[in-house]
Amino acid sequence: MRAPPSPTASDPGNGDGLMHPVEITFDALLLFSMVVLAWQGVHARNMFRAVVSFIMFGLLTAVAWVRLEAPDIALAEASLGAGLTGALLLATLGRLAPERRGARRPKVVKLSTLPWLTMGLAGTTVLLAVTLTLPAPGLGEAVLAAMPAAGVDSPVTAVLLNFRAWDTLLEIGVMLLAVIALWSLGQDVLASKPRLPAPALPALVRLLFPLFVLSTFYLLWRGGHGPGGAFPAGALLAAGLVLALLAGAQVPERMRGAPLRWALGAGLFAFLVVAVGLMWAVGTFFAYPPQHASILIAIIEIAAGLSIGVMLTALFLGGEPTDIKGGGK
Amino acid sequence: MSLPSTAMLVVILVTLPLAAATLLFASGRQPRTLTLAAALLLTFAALALGFNVHLEGVSVHRIGGWAAPLGIHWQVTPSGTVMLLVTALVGLAGAVYGAGYFLHRPGPEGRMARVFMPLWLFAWGGLNALFVAADLFNLYVALEVMTLASVALVALSARRMALQAAMRYLLAGLFGSMIYLLGVALLYGQYGVLDFDALAAMLDVEDAGSRAGAVALTVGLLAKAAIFPLHFWLPGAHGRAEPPVSALLSGLVVAAAFYLLLRLWFGPLAGMLTFGAGTLLGVLGAGALLWGGVLALLQRRLKMLVAYSTVSQFGFAMLVFPLAISGNREPVLAGGTLLLANHALAKAALFLAAGTLVRASGSERIGQLVGFSGRARWAWLAVILASAALIGLPPTLGFSAKWLLLQTAVSQGAWWWLGIMLAGTLLTFAYLGRLLELALLDPAPGPSPPPVLTPALLVPALLLALLACASGVWAFDFELDGETFVRLEPGS
Amino acid sequence: MSLPPGTLFLLASALLFAIGAHGLVTCRHLLRKVLALNVATTGVFLLLVTLGRSGTAVDPVPHAMVLTGIVVALSTTAVALGLIVRLERRRP
Repeated sequence: MRAPPSPTASDPGNGDGLMHPVEITFDALLLFSMVVLAWQGVHARNMFRAVVSFIMFGLLTAVAWVRLEAPDIALAEASLGAGLTGALLLATLGRLAPERRGARRPKVVKLSTLPWLTMGLAGTTVLLAVTLTLPAPGLGEAVLAAMPAAGVDSPVTAVLLNFRAWDTLLEIGVMLLAVIALWSLGQDVLASKPRLPAPALPALVRLLFPLFVLSTFYLLWRGGHGPGGAFPAGALLAAGLVLALLAGAQVPERMRGAPLRWALGAGLFAFLVVAVGLMWAVGTFFAYPPQHASILIAIIEIAAGLSIGVMLTALFLGGEPTDIKGGGK
Repeated sequence: MSLPSTAMLVVILVTLPLAAATLLFASGRQPRTLTLAAALLLTFAALALGFNVHLEGVSVHRIGGWAAPLGIHWQVTPSGTVMLLVTALVGLAGAVYGAGYFLHRPGPEGRMARVFMPLWLFAWGGLNALFVAADLFNLYVALEVMTLASVALVALSARRMALQAAMRYLLAGLFGSMIYLLGVALLYGQYGVLDFDALAAMLDVEDAGSRAGAVALTVGLLAKAAIFPLHFWLPGAHGRAEPPVSALLSGLVVAAAFYLLLRLWFGPLAGMLTFGAGTLLGVLGAGALLWGGVLALLQRRLKMLVAYSTVSQFGFAMLVFPLAISGNREPVLAGGTLLLANHALAKAALFLAAGTLVRASGSERIGQLVGFSGRARWAWLAVILASAALIGLPPTLGFSAKWLLLQTAVSQGAWWWLGIMLAGTLLTFAYLGRLLELALLDPAPGPSPPPVLTPALLVPALLLALLACASGVWAFDFELDGETFVRLEPGS
Repeated sequence: MSLPPGTLFLLASALLFAIGAHGLVTCRHLLRKVLALNVATTGVFLLLVTLGRSGTAVDPVPHAMVLTGIVVALSTTAVALGLIVRLERRRP
């Protein structure tokens, strides 16, 4: 077992309050831009501008995560929060009737602005005042103490896939559920839409796609000891797949129906099999025997990562891909 | 043969629905057989768990063998077990009803059955995970599973009104989750723990951060439980959904959010249940009770009447909070839990029967329902029995629950709350009485030829209603033995 | 120049929460409501992680919670957007 990485907390939030003025200025600018973009994301007159502001807001949020020493979250935010959510929002905008995209002023419920402003300011002040007083003891030390038995070197992965694995299992459930929910609403929506009019895109995608797959596996492997792991890996795979779809690729005929469904369910299934299998073998739900922890977590991670990639792509598709004849399964 | 251990039963209850749903979604074969088999197994597991808990009392299970505050715990409590049992009964009844209901539906029937069953199982899994959870963040994820499955179930009836109701429900649900998560963040920032027991041990009642956290958790759950004035999304979602979906939503999903309020305010936050907090929650309850009751009286359509009745009934349930401010909280919690159980069984029966009656009558309007004749008479019988349980006539479960609460109110001299409870009961009597009177004394002929009513459309509702009526006798033996809730001395 | 730890981040988190909550209530357009909700949720995430930094060791638990939260938010947003598109198609 390697020693767990020593937690260094150099930086803006911590400790003695000695921060370099440059850092303070950077943070202030960053956060100010985030707030402005957030406001525009909600209230910009033009819907398209609102969506673009929101995507930029997501990207800046990823930078904020880096400043807070949370590289895992930064990766997830950039790929999921900004990337995939952005793609989804733009696709949705494209599917709304033009007049609904709203070049007009957003309707605001007629209530005079003053009470709202006062209430908002008061609420924000109270929230800030309260959060400033929180001592935030945290579980950092408890996690450190348990790391040697965790089976992975990255504390975040240890929390996600070992200490609080039950949360993560349910979360994969939420994702699968979202796919089922979308599919229950109707058929594949993207299929009938014109693709992006970018002639170079297909060639580029053909070139890039292997890279996406390679990086996916790299992130999966890295998750054990550094930032990375199933979610960013899955997101990257999804990014590659979504790009391929935008470039005109179709879900292959023989992948539709059962194979696709099994791929979607594989992550949750692997999780359940391991968790219940351990109940049967060891007697405790989700209790990895220390000598097998690494390998079991790796199995879950690979299955979940690939499955997440497919699930995210399915969320983007927005409906079950069917045969061109419209038969379906 | 001995029963499986409690730990094993809990694992079955939380994982089987998810596994079955995934399998069903992936293979797409035999949706009815697989779902019914899973539903039966789950029901047996819940019954066995009830038996175990009766013998052993409260038990705590570490997931992954990690102790709190690092790991997540499951806590099996008597009140939680009652909810698990009721969930199993309603879940089984709904699955049987759904199998029959969608079978004779015009349109893409296959899709309905294929999509309805996995979503139903997902909702079931989310509910079970909620009832054993003892961790703030784990509850958040489980709540999301439940909410998302419910929204998808509402949207299943693809009419525009249903989609609108689903969207409003989703937004209200997400708003609730967001506020709830804010509460989790505040409490975690204060104490660095998520586990209920650890939190209960550390909670500083006077601290501003903790109070803000408690308020946020409560507001989030109030939105999910559709408590007045955050009830606006409920009537549409419950009234417009397909009947088995309405039964699940009204009977269990709302009850689960409310149960979490009970769990928090009688558990980790018990010290904060002061006069102010309790009274405020009680006043919201009184508002819900009257508002929902009056609107139920005004409805012209059957399912909307039943949906408004849910708003009113949960207002009644909110009255447990002012009654628990001082004195012994055990009977209050017992009464609250039984009230939820009674409502779940009776309301599910009512919605299922309503669905059958609407199909038999070819209309949703109360004035155009078929009368007490033919096979529809069994649906009417279920309506009558369920009404008796909702009103709280002896010897139903509703009577036992209300009796426990009334006794407490009398012993505390809480006349105001007593008055509101009586008003609520009278209102319930009024709107259900009006329904029965209109429909039975002035029946419509119904379409000809009359639609076929298979046993699947009649038996589940009737059995649920019978259970609500018959379990009242047993309910007086219900004890929360060992459920670790704080007792306050009067006047402390 | 000295500030209490994380002040700026906490301020931003409170503002984002306020903007989101306000937008959710006042905007009519469903897509805007969904965006507002996402903004408010980001505010809560920011609060969680900022709080995770003040202890002696960096606390990975809030990081894990936020990662879970981001995935949940994405899933629910996808369903919300799907519903919006379907509603649009059925506009009378």
